[in-house]
Amino acid sequence: MKSNRWLFAFIALLAGVALGLAYGWIVEPVDFFDLTPDTLRADYKADYVLMVAETYRARSDPGFAARQLAVFGSQSPTSFASQGLEYARANDFASEDISLIQELITALQAWSGIP
Amino acid sequence: MRHVAWIVLPALLIGLGIGLALAWVVFPLGAVNSSPGALRADFKDQYRSAIAAAFASNGNLERARARLELLGDTDAIVALNAQAQRMLADNKTEQASDAAALASALAQGNAYVAPVLTTSTPYSYPTTQPTAAEDDALSAPTVFDDFASLTSETSLTQIVVEATARPTQTRMPTQSAPFALIGQESLCDANLPDGLLQILVLNANRKQLPGAEVHIAWAGGKESFFTGLKPELGNGYADFIMTPDVSYTVQLALGSDVAAALLAPSCKASNGALFTGGFKLTFQQP
Repeated sequence: MKSNRWLFAFIALLAGVALGLAYGWIVEPVDFFDLTPDTLRADYKADYVLMVAETYRARSDPGFAARQLAVFGSQSPTSFASQGLEYARANDFASEDISLIQELITALQAWSGIP
Repeated sequence: MRHVAWIVLPALLIGLGIGLALAWVVFPLGAVNSSPGALRADFKDQYRSAIAAAFASNGNLERARARLELLGDTDAIVALNAQAQRMLADNKTEQASDAAALASALAQGNAYVAPVLTTSTPYSYPTTQPTAAEDDALSAPTVFDDFASLTSETSLTQIVVEATARPTQTRMPTQSAPFALIGQESLCDANLPDGLLQILVLNANRKQLPGAEVHIAWAGGKESFFTGLKPELGNGYADFIMTPDVSYTVQLALGSDVAAALLAPSCKASNGALFTGGFKLTFQQP
């Protein structure tokens, strides 16, 4: 009976840990703030790429577009824009928007980086 | 049985405490799948600037408004104006102008005159969930639902961009609507600095316009400055100290009437002392 009691206690302890983890990770996870753009969800990243593409259409300045995309860290602007294009295609963005992003990628690929 | 309960309950509570400590302190979930509202202030500025630049390009106010809402600013217009002023201070005049133009368009509540054609499609964000690889099982559903509810409003999907094909890529919409000089008064106020030239720039709705570039010229010199650098005096306010006996000419870079032959007036204070007065010019978009 005594060993059973400790077994119950151990099981209760494990159950408590599991409940605590579930609450802390799922129900009430830690709120983050002051984050960097690379943590943005894929749809927000794709929308950012679209914004850059919209601006590029008007300004025709790949250097400016590359600087706008540089906030996402060490990844090259072209590969980042390509990821945005993949997301846009997979999620039925308007064809005009997809064309804008394609246009941006083409310009970034041709851009030497030297002003 | 009661003895068992006395052991199990504390064990459960202790376990709960350990679990919470592990989840919140030792192994918190990494920051992934965040929303723009969780970005650091400087990255929010960058995001806001990208929104303003895209708006300057396509004139799609509702798209810009939906994007700005993601940043969670309590007042997007105030945030844009403040950012425009910070950018002016950093000599990022073009970006400041974009931010100020978006703030003005939001304040006016109607579509900005799109300077350049980009897309002419309604704005609708994708309503599908991110792929499993992108989806964080713990945080994505909540945030994505917020986003979907924001962007799936019918008002967003019914929006048609007012931009139409235009023959040029002129970026400043006001070039076709020059500002009028609606007020020019000389001031003799001993409480103001000597030779103070005050300039106020208003949009068509008589709201003060920040980020408007002012050109001032005189014999042998010229200078440019912007409205909104003294927000405590108004977003559309700018000033300049005139030298006595020098004639100045003032015009807005966006295109405006010219205020010419501005000569700081000579004034007499109530005690008989002479001092140099100033001018107040008011420009408004028709």
